[in-house]
Amino acid sequence: MVGETLRNLLMIAWLLPLAGFAVEIFGGFWGTRQSKLAAWLAVGCIGAGFLCSASALVIWGQSNGWAALHRGGHGDHGAAGHDSHEHDSHGGAEGHQDPHSSPPATEHGASEVNSAAATHLLTVAPAVSAAAGMLIQEPVAADASAGEAVSGQTVFSGTIYSLATFGDLQLSIDYYIDSLTLVMFTMVTLIATCIHLFAMGYMSDELTEEYVDHHAHLSNGHHVHRPGRFYRFFAFLSLFCFAMLGLVLAGNIFQVFIFWELVGICSFLLIGFYTERKTASNAANKAFIMNRVGDFGFLIGLMVLWTFFGTFQFGSTYAADGSVAQAGLFEMVHRDSHGKLLTDAATGDVIITDASGNAQLKADGQARTIPYYLLVVAGLGVFAGCIGKSAQFPLQTWLPDAMEGPTPVSALVHSATMVAAGVYLVGRFYPMFVQEVLLTIAYVGCITLFMAATIAVVATDIKKVLAYSTISQLGYMMLGLGVFGWGAGLFHLITHAFFKSLMFLCSGSVIHGCHHEQEMPKMGGLLKKMPITGLTMLVGVIAISGLAIPGTPIAFSGFHSKDAVVASALGFVKANPGHFLLFFVPLLTAGITAFYMFRLWFFTFIGKPRDRHVYDHCHESPAIMTVPLLVLSVFAAFCAVGGEEGVLYKLITGDQPAHIAEGIAGGLSASGITLPNAHSIHAPSESGGLSIHAQAGAWALLAAFAGALIAYVLYGTELVNLHEVKQQLSGAHSFLMNKWHFDELYDGLFMRPSHVIGKCCAWIDRTIFDGILHGAAQATVVVSKWDRLFDENVVDGFVNLLARATYSVGDSFKTIQTGRLRQYVMFIVVGVVALFAVLFSTFPR
Amino acid sequence: MTPEFLLTAIIFLPAVGALLLSLFDGRNTDVLRFWSLGVTILTFGLTLQMLMQFDSSVGGMQMQVAMDWIPAWNVSYRLGVDGISMPLVLLTSFISMLSMVASWSIKKHVKGYMVLFLLLESGMLGVFLSLDFFLFYVFWEVMLLPMYFLIGVWGGPRKEYAAIKFFLYTLAGGVLMLIAMLMFYFNSGATTDSFNLIELAKVASGAESTLASTLSPSLQITAFILLFIGFAIKLPVFPVHTWLPDAHVEAPTPISMILAGVLLKMGGYGIIRIAFPLCPYGAQYGAWAMVAIGVISIIYGAFAALAQTDFKRLVAYSSVSHMGYVLLGLAVWKINETTGATENRNFWLMGINGAMFQMIAHGISSAGMFFMVGVIYDRVHHRDLNQFGGLMGRMPLYGGLSAGLFFAGLGLPGLCGFIGEVFVVISSWSFSPLLAIIAASGVILTAGYILWAMQRVYLGAEYKGPHSEDITPINGRETAVAATLLAFAIFFGIFPNYLFRMMSVSTTELVQSLENGYQKAATSAAQMQAMK
Repeated sequence: MVGETLRNLLMIAWLLPLAGFAVEIFGGFWGTRQSKLAAWLAVGCIGAGFLCSASALVIWGQSNGWAALHRGGHGDHGAAGHDSHEHDSHGGAEGHQDPHSSPPATEHGASEVNSAAATHLLTVAPAVSAAAGMLIQEPVAADASAGEAVSGQTVFSGTIYSLATFGDLQLSIDYYIDSLTLVMFTMVTLIATCIHLFAMGYMSDELTEEYVDHHAHLSNGHHVHRPGRFYRFFAFLSLFCFAMLGLVLAGNIFQVFIFWELVGICSFLLIGFYTERKTASNAANKAFIMNRVGDFGFLIGLMVLWTFFGTFQFGSTYAADGSVAQAGLFEMVHRDSHGKLLTDAATGDVIITDASGNAQLKADGQARTIPYYLLVVAGLGVFAGCIGKSAQFPLQTWLPDAMEGPTPVSALVHSATMVAAGVYLVGRFYPMFVQEVLLTIAYVGCITLFMAATIAVVATDIKKVLAYSTISQLGYMMLGLGVFGWGAGLFHLITHAFFKSLMFLCSGSVIHGCHHEQEMPKMGGLLKKMPITGLTMLVGVIAISGLAIPGTPIAFSGFHSKDAVVASALGFVKANPGHFLLFFVPLLTAGITAFYMFRLWFFTFIGKPRDRHVYDHCHESPAIMTVPLLVLSVFAAFCAVGGEEGVLYKLITGDQPAHIAEGIAGGLSASGITLPNAHSIHAPSESGGLSIHAQAGAWALLAAFAGALIAYVLYGTELVNLHEVKQQLSGAHSFLMNKWHFDELYDGLFMRPSHVIGKCCAWIDRTIFDGILHGAAQATVVVSKWDRLFDENVVDGFVNLLARATYSVGDSFKTIQTGRLRQYVMFIVVGVVALFAVLFSTFPR
Repeated sequence: MTPEFLLTAIIFLPAVGALLLSLFDGRNTDVLRFWSLGVTILTFGLTLQMLMQFDSSVGGMQMQVAMDWIPAWNVSYRLGVDGISMPLVLLTSFISMLSMVASWSIKKHVKGYMVLFLLLESGMLGVFLSLDFFLFYVFWEVMLLPMYFLIGVWGGPRKEYAAIKFFLYTLAGGVLMLIAMLMFYFNSGATTDSFNLIELAKVASGAESTLASTLSPSLQITAFILLFIGFAIKLPVFPVHTWLPDAHVEAPTPISMILAGVLLKMGGYGIIRIAFPLCPYGAQYGAWAMVAIGVISIIYGAFAALAQTDFKRLVAYSSVSHMGYVLLGLAVWKINETTGATENRNFWLMGINGAMFQMIAHGISSAGMFFMVGVIYDRVHHRDLNQFGGLMGRMPLYGGLSAGLFFAGLGLPGLCGFIGEVFVVISSWSFSPLLAIIAASGVILTAGYILWAMQRVYLGAEYKGPHSEDITPINGRETAVAATLLAFAIFFGIFPNYLFRMMSVSTTELVQSLENGYQKAATSAAQMQAMK
């Protein structure tokens, strides 16, 4: 019941924007250019979607008695194990001497509880939760479990419709609903609603029959005049929301890939919204093609998974009688309580298991296995897709260019939702990632966050600064996930979505107010002119910098989530000292982040106006734009209240993969990486000092204050001559201004060579293949000519000769033909006699 | 309707229509056009009727027709349809109907054009419906002549060259097919079924058949190579593809649509209907080579498309690339070298289904892309990619529809191109990881050449080429064609199972019989080896 309700609600939220898109694109095409109807429709669709998502979240929470919230702290690994999550059933049941749940059948049932079969729920769930209640040491959690959480099902999965069936192989459109899905749905729809409203104001100059695009020039030097495309913008936004929500709802990795590409094409359409501008269409192409490079890796990952696992589904599917029809991917790799994968003793290959953790057998009785290295390949492949989508090193260069799109697009697509989809997928697909893959993720995140932050320091375009900051923050999320801070990485995803969309909208408000001026050197002192924008921006800046008042719980969202990431990194580094960079680089970058964000704020809002013209014409934006700013600023400030003890974090981690709570012991893989469990991060250190978490938090806060202070000194006061500083560091400055020369590098490495190869192929076709063909044709013609000569001279000559000979013989016979009868009789007689003579002489008697 | 009537009517209705058309007054062009359109619509209706009578739960041939034709040579008039040919027959009548709507732009010798067009349709439908090798061959060649004249008379500046190139290539393929056909004929002995494709396939698979024996394994290889080259030319794949760009560039728009939408599929159909079932041993023998050729075509075609400056040539090369997926999907037949048993049969089944789907999807998307090129060519009379730009602003509806169809060609999810390509690619890992990876890299190149072309044609501030004043919005007739194609591209992209259900029973049976055939031939090959 609950599962169906949730599915229906989320499907409505998912499909409404699609319906909205269809109506808007057609209605707008035949409607008038001045109508705001399309915008209201889009807002209505996504707003209704938000209501559906939020009510789904509430229904979900109530159905399981808000089990996620009552769960003990992250330190309590027993509680995590007993959260009735499907992956936990094995871990939860084993290791505790549980009097109630001994037979394997019950354990098996406990895992089924989490899926569609509601009948199981009634029978098994009370037993499990009762068992859980008895075992949990923490009184709070015990009360909650025993008192309310009667039905503990938190994960719901099922099939919507089938795409194709080939023998045992089945591809379908599925759904997979757990706490992460619901939080993402609510976040995406909420932010999207705010951004839609903001965009109604921001895009209002498109409400005209005659829009003048000052950034697009005709060959005669004039600006482009075109009809406004207000409706088209909102239609594309709606389509994007549909694709994004589909991605989050997806119940199998193939479906993720489908919507992955669809958000990509929406991003293409929205970046290239100003189709007349060459820069915009270039940026759109670049974004799509670079994403396809990542998707190439994704496809390789899919191929490996498909070939060895034979399914793409995350969770199990069930037959009508409640038995498992097809185990999901997450059940097919089984880890013991030390995080060790079930492997074949002889070959070392990973054994593929069924839903109850037993090896699946092939027809010949052998266990189905996948070589460990291919599991790594699959993980890296899927992660390659995430690299492209989340603009991680080395595919990061498309995101800054994507700022060619209108600012609401940058806020929605290129900061809050789509680019975070890569992080979301890493989180979603976490059970399939082995240690080597996680380490790669951590290092990619680490490189990215540093590199992007350094470029952000020198960028002068207000949106470019934010774009690089987005890349850098996505790097933090990846790092968090890579160092086993599953909750930390995704926590940062949600908080970042709020404060970064807020900041993008603020920058949009500035750009709108300054009549499409984006260069910060032309701004300054704008706080007086646009106070709401300036102050809400400050909220965002404080949030992203991670500033807080030490010793008090007063801190904005970014502080908590960045704290969690850095703490995970420190825990990881303490367990694996060789990888110390994974802690020190993000720590340093926390300082750089605070520096460039405050630089942006001081540059824009404080100080003397640097361009009188811009300043004089600048104005605060209308209410339709400032209200979303205020709403988002509230969330940016307070959504993470309580940090890792708060509601948001607990909701996100409600259904975290089972092996996270346990950690993974070192020495289980070639890399020898130890992945610490959350408990070790939060526990006080052995010497009785601060916990790892508190240490990391203190260092990060120090770095942030240092960065903010430097920014204030450089840009908030006039103590230092910036120009001189720039001169001094001109080498580094130009290196950073050129974005570490990645564009030139890729141009030389890939773009040009592929065009050259293309030309080569075309040349081969024209010259070689057609050349051979033409050669053959010419040879045929030559042969034919010879043939003709032969015909005319030899054959015809012979025939003519023969004819002439015949003629002359005939001619000579003419003399015999006298017409006299006597002579003829004479010939006949002579002939007969001669004939007889021949016959008689030759034939034997 | 009885199968005898229905199938015969489907094949010959266009030809009869052409015959009657020749009695019309050639000056009244509209009457000619509407008559021809009516004939194609009626034919499409008949194929829909066939779809209604079609039972997708039956794997073998349905609605069979068998009559004597040339008893002296064991040639019969034998027709039938199964899950493999059904979608292609529908595609043929559908694309023919839409191309006929697109043929309104033909102004020269309308009567001759229409007659040849209808004859061409008869030939194509005959190819897909005939179950007699000889009959198949006849239709194969019959369709060649109208095509030759349609390109050679109504084509562009180099039409004679393109037409003769097309003709010679296809004829060469036809001759190879003829040789293979005679091999089967003389091997079959003097039974009545020496050209019966069903019996030939049955005997090759070791099933009970009216025929006594099939070709020996080594002859199977020879016959397969002959057949494969013949069909590969039509498909076309690297390196016998160079007729395609010329033929496409010179052909008038509706003929390009037919060429890309239907004619190329005959190559794939021939492989799956004749080459594979008749020579399973040869097919398995050549599997690796075919997969490699398919992969090379995908990459090579995409690279070549990247370098084109002629819009239509670019789309033509994209066809080479896309048809590479068809060959790849058909050929991912992996066996265990020691036992001869087929490994991972379901992946191969997926590959074959994916290839079939790709044929339909390509039929829709490439016909759409060629039509869109034709629409702009009719207005500005050039196709130089560097002399377009800004069409999205000038012709917004045209731009939007084109974007949809080009995205379908790009393999965007939600549109038909995606399913075929991706299913084929992910099924190929179990055959060869290396080739699978190379094939998968095609997605990057495809995105590259299509987006780059779209940018040069549709985006940008202004139109840069000649005849700017002739750019008028897309008209109702053109919109109808493009929107219909786009609607089907979306439908099959979202609900691919509609097609897969139609063909999966037949393809499953095909896979099973190919496996059996290979086992049988491999056993006899081993015996021969032992006797030596």
